[in-house]
Amino acid sequence: MLKNYFKIAWRNLLKNKIYSFINIIGLALGMAVAIMISLWVTDEIRYNNYFENYDSIAQIYQSQTFNGYTGTGTALPRPLEFLLREDYGDNFEHITMSSWTNSRYLKFGDKIISRTGNFMQEPALDILKLDIIQGVENGLKEQNSIMLSKSVAETLFGNDDPIGKIIKVNNEHDILVTSVYEDIPTNTDFGEVEFIMTWRHYVATQQWVTNAIDSWGNNSFQMFVKIADNTTMETVSSKILDSKKNANEDTAEFNPQIFLLPMKDWHLRSQFENGVQAGGRIENVWLFSIIGAFVLFLACINFMNLSTARSEKRAMEVGIRKAIGSNRKQLISQFLSESLLVVLFAFAVALGLVLLSLNGFNDLASKEITFPWSSIPFWAYSLIFILFTALVSGSYPALYLSSFRPVRALKGTFKAGKMAALPRKVLVVTQFTVSVALIIGTLIVMQQIDHSKNRPVGYDKEGLIQIPTFGQDFLGKQDLMRQQFLASGAVLEMSTSSSPTTNVWSNRGGYTWEGKPEGFQESFTWTEVSPEHVRATGMTVIEGRDFSREFATDSNAVLINKTAVEYMGLENPIGKFIMDEDEEDPDPPMQIIGVVEDVIAQSPYEPVGAGFYVFDGSNNGSFYNVRLNPNKSVSENLSIIEKTFKGLFPDLPFRYDFVDEEYAAKFASEERVASLARVFTILAILISCLGLFGLASFVAERRTKEIGVRKVLGATVANLWILLSKDFIKLVVIALLVAIPLAFYFMTQWIQKFDYRTDISIWVFVAAGVGALAITLITVSFQSVKAALANPTKSLKTE
Amino acid sequence: MANIILSLHEASRTVNSGSNKVTILDDINLQVEEGEFISLMGPSGSGKSTLLNCIGMLDAFTDGEYAFLGQSVHRMKEKDRSKLYKEYIGFVFQAYHLIDELKVYENIETPLLYKGVKASERKAMVADMLDRFGVVGKKDLFPQQLSGGQQQLVGIMRALIGSPKLILADEPTGNLNSKQSTEIMELFAELNKEGATIIQATHSENNAAYGSRIVNLLDGKIVSQ
Repeated sequence: MLKNYFKIAWRNLLKNKIYSFINIIGLALGMAVAIMISLWVTDEIRYNNYFENYDSIAQIYQSQTFNGYTGTGTALPRPLEFLLREDYGDNFEHITMSSWTNSRYLKFGDKIISRTGNFMQEPALDILKLDIIQGVENGLKEQNSIMLSKSVAETLFGNDDPIGKIIKVNNEHDILVTSVYEDIPTNTDFGEVEFIMTWRHYVATQQWVTNAIDSWGNNSFQMFVKIADNTTMETVSSKILDSKKNANEDTAEFNPQIFLLPMKDWHLRSQFENGVQAGGRIENVWLFSIIGAFVLFLACINFMNLSTARSEKRAMEVGIRKAIGSNRKQLISQFLSESLLVVLFAFAVALGLVLLSLNGFNDLASKEITFPWSSIPFWAYSLIFILFTALVSGSYPALYLSSFRPVRALKGTFKAGKMAALPRKVLVVTQFTVSVALIIGTLIVMQQIDHSKNRPVGYDKEGLIQIPTFGQDFLGKQDLMRQQFLASGAVLEMSTSSSPTTNVWSNRGGYTWEGKPEGFQESFTWTEVSPEHVRATGMTVIEGRDFSREFATDSNAVLINKTAVEYMGLENPIGKFIMDEDEEDPDPPMQIIGVVEDVIAQSPYEPVGAGFYVFDGSNNGSFYNVRLNPNKSVSENLSIIEKTFKGLFPDLPFRYDFVDEEYAAKFASEERVASLARVFTILAILISCLGLFGLASFVAERRTKEIGVRKVLGATVANLWILLSKDFIKLVVIALLVAIPLAFYFMTQWIQKFDYRTDISIWVFVAAGVGALAITLITVSFQSVKAALANPTKSLKTE
Repeated sequence: MANIILSLHEASRTVNSGSNKVTILDDINLQVEEGEFISLMGPSGSGKSTLLNCIGMLDAFTDGEYAFLGQSVHRMKEKDRSKLYKEYIGFVFQAYHLIDELKVYENIETPLLYKGVKASERKAMVADMLDRFGVVGKKDLFPQQLSGGQQQLVGIMRALIGSPKLILADEPTGNLNSKQSTEIMELFAELNKEGATIIQATHSENNAAYGSRIVNLLDGKIVSQ
């Protein structure tokens, strides 16, 4: 029996090639999107799952409150380590301090490479349980040891045994390679840890780290823990909540709250708003899950729509089958097996599409997803998914068709009444509502990104590169480097700064000034710069003057930004002094010599913070900011700069970043969302159009006789075109009326999360509406014009 | 006396057309015995097809009594009724009503599938049937590849495959030319001779002459039998 069902299903597919094509391609596209999205969602949810202690690992977080606003982050003071170990030790199985993930030069023989890694304590190895493939399990016993990832070891040593070799780190320290571990996958938060060095080495070689041992105010370090077996994350968090506040009076006014963020929340729920956990990437996971479900839903709607529409043509068959003895159950089985066949077919096509587009998708989403051939859950879910889709998309036609009364069907008088078309109309409206809402959503996301991109940045980011200058080698060489750069002709100006132009690495408080309100808890972004910084980066001085080497007093001068003037409540800022509040060992007062335009160094969606640009007295910046000569080509400039750089630092690799690219990277996450959304929207529209096309051809076919009669009576092609198109236009107009308020509501909500945001323009809705109507008209016209042009004698003869 | 296959007692069928009640069949009294070959005659709209459909249980009388093989059809549930006609009745249609997607062989086989006959048995039965009508060579063709007469032949084979007690034929030659018509009517006569009970609806005096009894309908009433 089943064989018979499949046979007739197969012949039906072949007989109606256009319908079959639309049905299968439409459904396959929907499934491909759903598969792709579920792979992506799985990858997001399984982030960090690589670590076997996934459930018991946490990072220590801290919230502090300044002027009523609570900020939350991972930066911690060093004394917290000793406090947690001594007073709260039973809550933890392991605790490790960690530096940020820093880049270091690793040199062996002639080979020198720059790689990123962390400085951590021995318990880190028990927490992370890395896969050691060479050397000792505990490679952090001796202070001057390094553990390398497999790919770093291969790059440095090729096929030689790395264990026991001595490498030079940052051209300063001789370090022993003790272990090699399997590369940590990129879908973890430790994916960039390509080497691990000891915490003791970090403390011993960095003066500021050494000094931070008893400083509760210097929040510059990370801490990871594995909690004890007999406790929970919540319990530990509640125990350590006030630990810092109780231990240190000086910082108590900021109400520091110490707590754990479990590893399972790191990737998806790591955003905090005013001290409260407020989602994060999980929102994208939801967004895409919903889009995926919608696209699949659209494809299923098509399938149902086309099947029911076609059913009128098959009414005769149902009648015959009933007359020769089929019962309703058998007919339902027949139509369900037909839908199962189509779904299986579509699934195969969908798999093909996924395999073909996986690479492109990975690029788009910056992922490394592979196809889960051997994953049993994947195939199990796929099977459920196939059966479910077959059932959902096939049940309506199955039930509907099998309910036909045989006599009416056989007489050939069967024509579904007005009511029979209603569900189909509802489906078309639903489909277009979703499509239009997606169009509007995508347009607004793109507008918001454009809007933020076009925001004035406060400096000239084109033709500007930054060269990182960490390490002893660069000490004291900056003036020499600048002279050589200027002399080379490739560089107009060079400055140094303590943070990159596109970020702020330091915030400071503890200052007072004339007119400072009582109890004001200030925080300023802090950048130390050489006197040429404003000129090199192209910042604008809007009041007062720039730094100058002419004035000896400028070593205690400061430039503040426009926001700082307002923030500090200054009327005439120029010449005012800013005093250090530290009573024991105050820094000398700084005099404001100028006000500069706000520079967007942090999020382009948020307002710029009040900032100080301080004269760099130590001659030890972290970056060279180099303004290229616009009269030469970039490549020419770069090769000259590299040569000049190598002349001064022959042992160091020449590394640089284009500032405009670094700035563009700030939009990467939103752009990724936008481009994914764009792709899915296009697919959704395509699927809707396929459905509409099929439906229109069906309607045209069904009304062949009517069209023939009308033509004989004198209707023009235009009359007929309008007649056939207007029903669809009506449906799309209804869809617009539903979609526009819906999209308006949700997008208004979405855009609230950006402080710097675009206005939602009415043109977006107009464009989406006109677009939807145009697409509908084009799709429908293809069929309606064809029908209207047909020779009436032919169409009338068929009856 | 021969067995009575079916009997109708004051059977009527009315439909609502708008606000009017239209009587299509009016107080029909009819008895059909096993082995009879009845021709229903009458002009278009006299109710021939409706009567045939009601007898075939594709449609139902709205009033009166209908007994088939001694069972009261008008009191049966839909499910039992369909079981009954599946078992005992075969249909032949004016427009053949073959399933276009199925080959000749498969069209004939379909009623057996619905009856749940085993595959090996089905094969034998269909092969016998093809053999009997001499169309073995056409078994793998689709209906469109056959002439009208051949299609109707397949339709009759499909009706016969389940060995029904009663064959209902609605204008079986209406779409055929005279030569084909004659062949089909001769086939019916032969089947009748072999013992099949047949009721046909027809316009044609010639065709009606093949039957053993003629029932004339006019405006839903039997005017003579």
